[in-house]
Amino acid sequence: MRVSVYWGCMIPTAEYAYELSLRAALPRLGVEVADLDSFSCCGSPIASVDRSAANYLALRNIALGERSGSRTLLVPCNGCYLNLVDAYHHWRSDEKPRADVDQSLKKEGLSLKGTCELMHVIDFLHDRIGLEAIRRAVTRPLPGLRLLSHTGCHLLRPSSLLSVDDPEDPKKLDALVRTLGAETLTYPENLDCCGAGLLLSHPETAMALSAAKLKAIQALGIDGLVVSCPSCHTMYDAKQEAAGKTIGQVLSIPVMYYTQLLGLAMGLDQRALGLQLNKSPIDRLVENISLRRV
Amino acid sequence: MFGGSGTSLTLRDLTSEASANAELKQRLVENLGSAVQSCFRCLRCTSGCTSMKLLELKPHFIMNMAKLGLLEELLSSGTLWTCALCLKCKERCPQQSSPSDVIVSLRNVSFQRELSVPEGYLRVVSSILENGLIQQPAEVVSRDFEEFTRDSLGLPRMGNPGGVFAEILVELMSRGAG
Repeated sequence: MRVSVYWGCMIPTAEYAYELSLRAALPRLGVEVADLDSFSCCGSPIASVDRSAANYLALRNIALGERSGSRTLLVPCNGCYLNLVDAYHHWRSDEKPRADVDQSLKKEGLSLKGTCELMHVIDFLHDRIGLEAIRRAVTRPLPGLRLLSHTGCHLLRPSSLLSVDDPEDPKKLDALVRTLGAETLTYPENLDCCGAGLLLSHPETAMALSAAKLKAIQALGIDGLVVSCPSCHTMYDAKQEAAGKTIGQVLSIPVMYYTQLLGLAMGLDQRALGLQLNKSPIDRLVENISLRRV
Repeated sequence: MFGGSGTSLTLRDLTSEASANAELKQRLVENLGSAVQSCFRCLRCTSGCTSMKLLELKPHFIMNMAKLGLLEELLSSGTLWTCALCLKCKERCPQQSSPSDVIVSLRNVSFQRELSVPEGYLRVVSSILENGLIQQPAEVVSRDFEEFTRDSLGLPRMGNPGGVFAEILVELMSRGAG
């Protein structure tokens, strides 16, 4: 199976661990990854300043996906996924804006037919690849590990547009983690936002929000937090130490992308999964997994 | 209290002397549908709001101001920019009148009128116009302080959109302002 990947901004400019681990893990599940030429921002960060420009950005990237010849456009970032789905939905349903957009796309030598299906990594792995196929690919299962998952806001809400998972009780990322042999726990702060949406206007508050959730998680004594969005990962991993300082708390929680955890469970090389790039204290977790018998 | 002259009645806020902007309210309703009007202030949005505790955002208050057309103060205050866009209010509203959509729509007006837009957003706009993305590929450092780039990690080169890309965006943004 061949899928095109729309990487967005954060993954290919800073969150390299997600790109590396996705590129390493998918071929092991029989998926060939294709890249898009001259993709741009998805529009999500500028929806707040100009909705029509944000829509255009989203649609030109879907048009690039169509041009690449893949039926599925995989969108690993939550924010990108929501903005692409939102713009695609309006393009399909509103004739007037659709004509405007089509005209602009033409100027770039692009056209949109509506043949591409958008999927995020979570529903792609859970629904398309399937838990059974993932279980078969696991060579180093993870029993004994107690992990938490954080699905992230823009993959769940609004459910009028998105249907990846239950907006108030998401289960797929947990199921994917359990498929690797680990245990998952439910926790009251599961739906709490990572705060990344405030980084451009209120960075300190963004950090305090992130720290509040991490503090609650730390009290549970778990082995790690599993995420699948570059914004959430930045907040919980790269900014973890700084976030702790905003609430006077030393935080020490291993945070990993699901694709990194999946790669480890499939016996992939740590560097190929970008594990050296995580800033949170993941060493003990990685060691614990890597020392398991093959 | 009602003021104005002739048959046109205007709401006026007695504490701030602000008056309703009927035209702007009409634009909101055109963009977002009549659901804007149907908020009955159950406060479900505010009780679950991510930004309520730390930034005192009260989405139901924004909805009420929008219903009354008292939008000028909202536009020039920083309140609109305290929303984290977690979209819980949009998901949970029993009337399908989304406070987050109203907030984004008013943020757009605020940008068009060059009022109180946080600098971070303007930086993002200029970066996208310049090279398509919100930022350029960065050099990163591992936990052991080893430096990496896309190249040294073996990741493929990326191309910029180029061509008429930026012109199209500028045209769309200036249309919004017109």
